[in-house]
Amino acid sequence: MNSRVLRYAPLPQALALAEDLLIRTAIRIELPPSLHELAVRRFEAVRTYIERDGSPLKDRVRIFYPQGSMAIRATIRSRKRSDGYDIDIVAELILDPRLTPAQILDLLFVAINGEPGSRYHGKVKRQSRCVTVEYDDDSRMHLDITPSLLIAHDDPRLSQIFHAKPEEPAHQHRRLIMNSNAFVEHVRAATPIDLEFRQRYAKEAKRYEERFLRIRADADVVPVPSHSTIEGGKSASIVALQLLKSNRNERYRSRKGVRMPPSVMLSRLVIDVARPGSSLLEALARSCQHIIDTLQAAEALGQCVDIRNPRCEHDRFTDRWPEDLRAQRIYIEDLLLLRQQLHVLTNGQLSLPEMRDLLAQMFGEGPAQSAIEDIAELHGLAIQRPAIAAPARISSIAAVPTSARISGGRAPSHSFYGTPWPGRPKR
Amino acid sequence: MARPPKTLSEQIRAMARDWPAFEAVQFSPRHVTWCGPLTPLARPYMVTIDYTLVSGTARPEEPLAGIPLVRVLSPCLEQNWNVLEEAPLPHVYFDSADISRSALCLFDPAMGQWSPADLIAFTTIYWALDWLQCYEGWQATGRWFGGGRHAPRLEQAQS
Repeated sequence: MNSRVLRYAPLPQALALAEDLLIRTAIRIELPPSLHELAVRRFEAVRTYIERDGSPLKDRVRIFYPQGSMAIRATIRSRKRSDGYDIDIVAELILDPRLTPAQILDLLFVAINGEPGSRYHGKVKRQSRCVTVEYDDDSRMHLDITPSLLIAHDDPRLSQIFHAKPEEPAHQHRRLIMNSNAFVEHVRAATPIDLEFRQRYAKEAKRYEERFLRIRADADVVPVPSHSTIEGGKSASIVALQLLKSNRNERYRSRKGVRMPPSVMLSRLVIDVARPGSSLLEALARSCQHIIDTLQAAEALGQCVDIRNPRCEHDRFTDRWPEDLRAQRIYIEDLLLLRQQLHVLTNGQLSLPEMRDLLAQMFGEGPAQSAIEDIAELHGLAIQRPAIAAPARISSIAAVPTSARISGGRAPSHSFYGTPWPGRPKR
Repeated sequence: MARPPKTLSEQIRAMARDWPAFEAVQFSPRHVTWCGPLTPLARPYMVTIDYTLVSGTARPEEPLAGIPLVRVLSPCLEQNWNVLEEAPLPHVYFDSADISRSALCLFDPAMGQWSPADLIAFTTIYWALDWLQCYEGWQATGRWFGGGRHAPRLEQAQS
C-alpha cells in the first residue's frame, strides 16, 4: 500500500454540495472511460495503417505512445472543433535526421492520408507540429499525432519534434527537444493516490457513463467495454487539472485567434502542489492559487513565465505562450476570477439555480446544467425511495437532531400532496 | 389502537430539543407558531410552522385544520410559469391572497402519513427540508423530482 494514501475527510454541508457538483461537472467534461478505450484502439489502428505495405513510413515507426492529457487521463473536451476530444499521440519514427521539419510532417501526413478512397483520405489535416485525424461519428474525437525522432538511445524518449507552419518560410521552421514520456512518469510519481476520492469519482463516472452516454463508433473499431472503474479512478489533483483546463477553455472560447495557456504547463503546476487526501475543492483551490502565484512572480520581474519539463530542462512548456506580458495578465485575471467564484460557490448562500449559473460561467452551460439535473433527480429519488442515499445529505443549521440520531437518521416516509393551481392569473 | 395525540407542550419540548434554532411563540393554549432556519442544500430558508391542536375528527370542509402548516418567509418562494412541471409553484396549498406564502403540502392526507400523535420535530421538519430541496431542484431544472400527487380539481371531484 502506498504510504501517501490518506483518508478523504468529510466536508461541511455547503462544501460537500459544492464538491459533489464539481465532481459531476468534471465527469461531464472528461473523456469517458469507454472513449478512452476507443482512442487507444484508434491510435493502434492508425499505427497499423501507417505501416501498411506501400506506405512511405512502412517499418519506420519505432513506437506510438500517448502524450500529455491522454497519458495522464486528464483529457477533456477541447475549446474548438465543436467541443470534441483531442487525443495527443507521439509517433516516434525512424528517419534520416537530416530531413527538414516540413518534410517529416509532410511524410506523416501522406502516410496517413493515403490514396483517394482509402480509409483516412480527406479526414487528415497537416498542422504546424502534428497531423490530425478526424472521425465523423458520435465520438467527436480527433487524434493529434506528433512525429518525433529519438535523440539518444541511452535516454529513452528524449526526442526531437518539429515545428513547420506551411505558410511560414522554411528558416522559421525549427526542431524542439521534448521528453513527454519522462514528464508523464513525473506526473504519475508525484500524483498522490486519493483512495476514497478515487473510488467515489470512479463510481460516479461509471454511473454517468452507463446512464447517459451512448457512443456510436465507426465500423473499423471493435466495440469497447462500457466501463472500467480502474480507468475511471483518478486523484483529486488530476480532476482539478481537468476543471482548470475546462475553465481556461471557457474563458478563451470567445477570444478568437488568441493562444491559450498550454495544458502541459497547467499539468506541471498542478502536480507541483499535489497533496494526498485532498478533496477536489482543496486541490482545485490550491492549484489555482499556485498558478496565480507563479504567474504573478514572473510578472513582478517584468518577465513571461518560463515553465519546463522537470525531467528534461530543454523541454520548455511555455515556448508559445505567453507571447507577452499582456497575454500573461489576461490569464492571471481569469484565475483571480476563478478563485473568487470558488469562494462564492462554497459560501453557503447560493440556491441550486444560482450554483448552476455560477458553474456554467466557470465550466460551461451544458456540463453545469447536467450536473445540477443529476443532483436534483438523485435528491428526489432519495425522497421517494428512502433506501437510496441522497448526495450531500441535508440537515438544519441547528445541530443534528437527537431524534434523528436515535432513529438512525430517517424521518418516516411521506409523499407530497397539494391543491392544483386554481387558474392562471388574468392578464 | 389509535395513539393519543401529542400535547402542545410535548410538541414544543421536542422542537426545542431537536431544532434549537427554532423559536416557539404560543398564541393560545391550542396554537403555536415556530420560526427558524432550514438549510436543505446550501442556502438557508427562514420558515414558520403553524400548528393548532384540534379536537374531534377531521372535518372535510376544513382540510388544513389540525395539521402543521409550513410557510417560507425568506427568501420568498418564486412563481415560475415557464417550467415543464408544476407551474407556478409545486405542491402547495395555494393561498390566493399571497401565493408566495402558500403552505407547503408535505404529506398525503389519504395515506395516513401524519396524525396529531406524531412529533412535528420528527416528521414535518424533515419533510419541509425534502420539499425545499425539491423546490430548488425544480427552480434549477423546471422539473419536480420529489413525486407526489394533487387533490382532484373541484369539477373532477364532483363529476
